[in-house]
Amino acid sequence: MFLHYIDLSWRSFKRTPLVSLLMVLAIAIGIGVTMTSLSIHHMMSKDPIPQKSAVLHHLQLQTMDEGQSYFSKDDLPFQVTYQDAMNIQNANLPYLRSAMYKSGFSVHLNSPEQKPFVEEVRLSSRDIFAMFDLKFIYGGTWTQQQQDDIAPVAVISKSINDKLFKGENSIGKSFYLDDIRVQVVGVIEDWITPVKYYDTNNGSFDDPEKIFIPLSLGITNEVHTWGNTNGWKNEQDDTFKDLLVSENLWLQFWVQLNNEQEKQEFGQYIMSYMKQQQSLGRFNREELDYNLFNVTEFMDYRGVVKHDNKIMVTLSFMFLAVCIANILSLLLAKFLRRAPEIGVRRALGASKRQVFYQHLVEVSLLGLFGGVLGIVFAQIGLWGVRVSHGAYDALANMDVTMLMAAPVIAITACIVAGLYPAWVVCRTTPAIYLKSQ
Amino acid sequence: MLTMNNINKIYQTDMVQTHALRDFNLQVDEGEFIAVTGPSGSGKTTFLNIAGMLEPFTAGQYILDGVDVGGLNDNQRADLRNQKIGFIFQGFNLIPDLNLFENIEVPLRYRGIKAAERKRRVEQRLEQVGLASRAKHLPQQLSGGQQQRVAIARALAGEPRFLLADEPTGNLDSLMARQVMELLEQINREGATIVMVTHDPELARRAPRNIQVVDGQLADFTLYQGNPAKVVGV
Amino acid sequence: MSELKPIFNALCRSKVGAILLLLQIAITTAIVSNSAFIISEKIAYLEQDTGYPEQDIFTFEVMSFGENIDYMRQAELDETAIRQMPGVIDAVTVNSVPLSGGGSSSSFRLVPAGQKGKGVQASIFEADSHFINTFGIKILEGRNFTEAEVSVVEEYSQYPSVGLITKAMADELFPDGDALGKTLYHGDLPMQIIGITDVMKGPWLQSERRDRSAILPFVFAQKLTLFSVRTEPEQRAQVMQQIEQYMLNLENKRVIEGLKGLDDVKADYVAPDRLTMRMLLVMIVVLTLITALGIFGLTLFNISKRTKQIGTRRALGARKSDIIRYFVIENAMISMLGLIVGSGAAVMMAQQLMKHYSLSQMPLFYVLFTAVGVLLISLLAVVGPAKRAANISPSIATRTI
Repeated sequence: MFLHYIDLSWRSFKRTPLVSLLMVLAIAIGIGVTMTSLSIHHMMSKDPIPQKSAVLHHLQLQTMDEGQSYFSKDDLPFQVTYQDAMNIQNANLPYLRSAMYKSGFSVHLNSPEQKPFVEEVRLSSRDIFAMFDLKFIYGGTWTQQQQDDIAPVAVISKSINDKLFKGENSIGKSFYLDDIRVQVVGVIEDWITPVKYYDTNNGSFDDPEKIFIPLSLGITNEVHTWGNTNGWKNEQDDTFKDLLVSENLWLQFWVQLNNEQEKQEFGQYIMSYMKQQQSLGRFNREELDYNLFNVTEFMDYRGVVKHDNKIMVTLSFMFLAVCIANILSLLLAKFLRRAPEIGVRRALGASKRQVFYQHLVEVSLLGLFGGVLGIVFAQIGLWGVRVSHGAYDALANMDVTMLMAAPVIAITACIVAGLYPAWVVCRTTPAIYLKSQ
Repeated sequence: MLTMNNINKIYQTDMVQTHALRDFNLQVDEGEFIAVTGPSGSGKTTFLNIAGMLEPFTAGQYILDGVDVGGLNDNQRADLRNQKIGFIFQGFNLIPDLNLFENIEVPLRYRGIKAAERKRRVEQRLEQVGLASRAKHLPQQLSGGQQQRVAIARALAGEPRFLLADEPTGNLDSLMARQVMELLEQINREGATIVMVTHDPELARRAPRNIQVVDGQLADFTLYQGNPAKVVGV
Repeated sequence: MSELKPIFNALCRSKVGAILLLLQIAITTAIVSNSAFIISEKIAYLEQDTGYPEQDIFTFEVMSFGENIDYMRQAELDETAIRQMPGVIDAVTVNSVPLSGGGSSSSFRLVPAGQKGKGVQASIFEADSHFINTFGIKILEGRNFTEAEVSVVEEYSQYPSVGLITKAMADELFPDGDALGKTLYHGDLPMQIIGITDVMKGPWLQSERRDRSAILPFVFAQKLTLFSVRTEPEQRAQVMQQIEQYMLNLENKRVIEGLKGLDDVKADYVAPDRLTMRMLLVMIVVLTLITALGIFGLTLFNISKRTKQIGTRRALGARKSDIIRYFVIENAMISMLGLIVGSGAAVMMAQQLMKHYSLSQMPLFYVLFTAVGVLLISLLAVVGPAKRAANISPSIATRTI
């Protein structure tokens, strides 16, 4: 019976090609617009690292004196001081963790063949690769020994390896970051993530860094951050050494806590750490406070999804509603014109339910066509977005979820639009139309 | 009242040419009550449409109450219809979205009559057809006979001198048909000229003058004077 | 006017088509008026006067990696060399590029830190005396720095104690207009106001602070230096083409990056807003088309449903113009109701948007303007089908099927 209904629907399309085309176009445009904004929203808000988002935690400490305020919604600074970062990094704790910051260097081979280029570099602990699931192609992370000894080592990602070493196994080879000669100990796959969730301070949708060196190496060489530095205290901060002992906030801190118990234990550690620091004259406040958000909580906290985008999603769903109203009226016209035929079908023994079902199959088919065409429109829309705004390159794309969602939304929309017309048609009494024939 | 000279009507489709009326001649005088009969497809409806200026004709001359219809434009024909002709349709053709009062009011509005005068006339006609109490009802709330009486009231509201009725009793049972017929006869006595298309010989016999259309021509016409035996065939 | 009542009564008795149309017009009005408002806000934002001849200015960064570069000497050398290039009007090294989204800011107060007093957040530009000329800024009162006042350093000591501020900032801190010569404090550091400039936007365009800037005679020489260059009109492209090689010829242990016209710097900074604006614009156009299509379709539907009725009306003496008028009035009635509902929805939507998304209050004339527009489109869309209805032959009335 289902196949028969599909056959009937197809005939119905062919009978009124113009109206059918208009309806498919209307739903396709609606879906196109909706899916364009929804895809971007989805890419912005979707979990960038689903396998680990629940266990990776971002640490914020309330280091500011009583009465100081910060531009976050809970007055907690987004970043941590160098002192705190190092104290927690070096504490005797079993968790993978990394203080980190972003800087940049001229990258070159000290030879005329390779033109120097500027590259952003992330300075972190050796745990970063394990924590964020970065896959090694060659080699591995630097050793604890190298980290402690401030060895000039680096992990580079594939595209840098291609550029500097033509994609060969470059373990043991050297290159320059400004005038620091570093040795490659590992090559990872390029870090691809639509949202730069681990450091949202300078653009949530920037590209991840492609070169990683030990934080200790950067500190020794007095490498300033390329990110934000926020200060609240009036203190000496003219030199790099001043910066290291100041209350300036400029590092991010991530820790992997695999379960609730670990999270509690780490929380207890942080509280006791802050109390201990209080005795040293820091954390001058009544209530000690810290944030330990996992990846999704943190993205929500930092408002990664832009307001504009939320407005667009709201508007595009209203837009879809207009398309549905349109289709509803066209369907009403189309179905009612067919009432005499339905009268005959009813007289020949079709039940109301069967007539209703037949029409729902027809609108669903309409939705399917509209959904598929809508994907094409959405691709055009997303292409327009990518052309309009370079930073949206990774965001303005449809993933599998969205590709599947498009026809589902389209069919649902069509069924919503078709319910009333189908009900009107199936309610027609056969006699009326038979008489006037 | 109505003069048709050599009226021809040809329907042209892609493939076929249909000669619906050929050299059709008819003279109707003021105050006549004429029944038009004929088999299906003979051209009765075409004659009615042309007489009511619902359709243009292909050739010939049609003079309605001294006006040569052939020379009129669409608006002039609409105005002439509105002022001189009252229509009674087989399917009643009441406007389903309008109540009885509003239905009867329709031709008066197109004539631009003031609201108070419209009200007076509509009420008078509703009284005449015996439906004054139902003025606010919608057509579908009435029986077929009642609907046709409303349609007649509507046709009469503009006080036309010429009434065209198309199978006025076609959708009614015999009792209601008789009532409608009596109403028409009464209207005729009051001075209106009536041309009624019907295929019911009994009804036709009640009209003083019968004409028969066959193959688009006026085949014959007979004046009945209460003597049904004198029906002349083709 | 007497025609309105029966048309309205008839409408009330066949609701579905009318309600659909009403709904569509209402939603369209709500969306279009709000989108139009957001678009106009965005356009005002995108088109705001920055105070700079953006077409003639370009900027780039120089990243040095040579071990023994004297950054202070090199900065002076580079500036002098660039200023001598043919086509160049002036050049300057600056701590941040206006309109770029990256820079530094501080709170400037009437009293030193620790005391209670009025203060505002302002952007800080650090550069030598060529800043004013390079960015084509007008000094309204006072004077530019002298060369002697500029400190060129490699450490943050000897911070200058004079500066220029924008008129907007001066007006805010000194409503009486006597800012010139007064002293402001950022932290403990005093800064005497020696000049007041005309409009010049800071590195950020969104917040209030965009109009408040201070320019301080300070050059911090370091490995990463930002250069801004103003050229003769029409010569920018040519200079930009030569600049990398020119700079590398002066000193080759460095990388030239981010070579961009100031107009492109701004374009990149406002890209998300431009994107939103474009998306909304596309949406409005398509939505309006769809609504027009919907009205067209519904009227056709209404007509096909009422073919017989139209024939009957014609038979009863309606002129073609009467039929057209009927549908136009009917449509206008539905549209009006839709517009009333839609205007209410638009205002409510604007309030929600204001509440949740920090938009400003939508002036009511956006709704009014949209309503008139939608009404016009609605009437245009109905004329075609209404004409078609008028052409229905009155002989339909005598047909039984």
